[in-house]
Amino acid sequence: MSVDLQETRLPGVGVKYTFRTARGGKLAVILHMDGQREIYYYERAADDEPTAVIELHDDEARQLGAVIGGAYERPKIVEELEMALGELQIEWIPVPDTSPAIGRTLAECALRARTGVTVIAILREPEPVSGARPEDAIQQGDTLVAVGKAGQFAEFRKLLNEGPFEPPA
Amino acid sequence: MTLAELAITVALLGALGLLARRLGMSAIPAYLLAGLLLGPNEPKQLALVSPSEVTDFVAELGLVFLLFFLGLEFSLERLSRTGRHVGLGGAVDLLVNAALGLFVGVLFFGATPAAVILAACLYVSSSAVAVKGLIDFRRLGDDETDLVLAILVFEDIAIALVLGFAAAGGGGPSDTLVVVLKALGFITAGLAASRWLARPLDRLLDRLSVEFFLLAVFGFLIGSAAVAEELGLSEAIGALMAGVVLSETSLREQIEERFFSFRDVFAALFFFVFGLSIDISALGDLGWIVALAVLVTLVGKIGAGMVAGRIGGFTTRQGFNAGVALVAHGEFTIILAQLASGNPSIDPADRADLVAFAGLYVLATATIGIVLMKESKRLGRLLFPIRTLAPEA
Repeated sequence: MSVDLQETRLPGVGVKYTFRTARGGKLAVILHMDGQREIYYYERAADDEPTAVIELHDDEARQLGAVIGGAYERPKIVEELEMALGELQIEWIPVPDTSPAIGRTLAECALRARTGVTVIAILREPEPVSGARPEDAIQQGDTLVAVGKAGQFAEFRKLLNEGPFEPPA
Repeated sequence: MTLAELAITVALLGALGLLARRLGMSAIPAYLLAGLLLGPNEPKQLALVSPSEVTDFVAELGLVFLLFFLGLEFSLERLSRTGRHVGLGGAVDLLVNAALGLFVGVLFFGATPAAVILAACLYVSSSAVAVKGLIDFRRLGDDETDLVLAILVFEDIAIALVLGFAAAGGGGPSDTLVVVLKALGFITAGLAASRWLARPLDRLLDRLSVEFFLLAVFGFLIGSAAVAEELGLSEAIGALMAGVVLSETSLREQIEERFFSFRDVFAALFFFVFGLSIDISALGDLGWIVALAVLVTLVGKIGAGMVAGRIGGFTTRQGFNAGVALVAHGEFTIILAQLASGNPSIDPADRADLVAFAGLYVLATATIGIVLMKESKRLGRLLFPIRTLAPEA
């Protein structure tokens, strides 16, 4: 459900953000020009006196924002994603500059056949490769996004670092 | 004014300002009261400071700083974002309260320029008192607060256009027209300058060290005020325009930060000096007109708030709250009366009356306004109970 957030300029004061909560209340957050924040909570949207007012300094407000935004706690969606993966993991693996795999395609390296780990994407400047295909070649500076079981990654890294690979056809 | 007198003055301003704060009032009536007490008029026991060139000069600086800050808040871009209530709510307020003000003005002064000034004095509410009340009484989260602030923005713009008239208008029709046109020209030039000069000014001010930054901005402000004065306008318009020009630069916040303290000190002294010239013994002659004006203000402002509220889709109680927040008058009423007191086109007796009237009227409305505002929600519940539906048979 999307929240209907209304922004209003309060000349001489700052900015106000208002929205109705799903339970029929109303929240108004005021950002004062001097950095002070205020949160007004009205238990029923039509109440003319706020049920509670919270005043926060700039640093307190940022902290609260981070907590509510989920920076301190794994949000539910991340947990669910991990559950769906089961015993599989996703890892981000930078390709060492000395790797013998550089210049070879994924098919030539046969990483999946030899370690069980699948490269699903390649992060590189300027444009990442989102769905990695067998004919995509590994380049210097790449970071591989790979899916595999926990125990398979050590072997994957070793192979990426040291080879050996078949000479290019 | 000697240093010792200044010390006593500032100490008294500080003490009364603090007391007002404790009582939840605005400091403006407190400063006026301090001037009234220490001034040469009744009560004479405390007469310590009499108006002189020095006090006039200090007051002029206060006026310049007050309008400079108003100008800084004025930027076109910010005004265009204030929302839908500005036009409608502001127009209702203007129509109702300028008309009522003109009625009171003509009743007392006859069809004179002084009547127009009095109308403007009654029309323009105090942004300072209202905003302080909205913050202190925790009204910022309320929907109707948007309406109050929008109306205040509209009033600020309207009053900017009246400043020139207050200072120099009211002679013959053609003279007045020239003054008004000059003021409009100056304001247009200022707005144009704020568009085209913002970047070069930015670059220039950015390179200056703190000390010269202060001096450069101060010089620009005073220079602009002086030019406006030379043009036969008022220093007030010059200061306002200096603010408008600098409002579009990226240094606006820095300027506000650096000059806040200047403004606070000199504005306090401005209200104090104005208080010096309030003659409370004039209450005998002016008492009824002040009382009438206060009554008209209560009816006009609360009425306008409710009508504007109805149009804007607010409840009756919300409209009532909005109207009550506009009852208090303050800085602009005083500024207009101060400018008019130097206007040669207005009869000298009328000028003295305007000053005394404005002082007493602000003391009354600022006090009543704040008290009402504090209680407006309780009053609203009493006056406008929500009708419960008849129980179903």
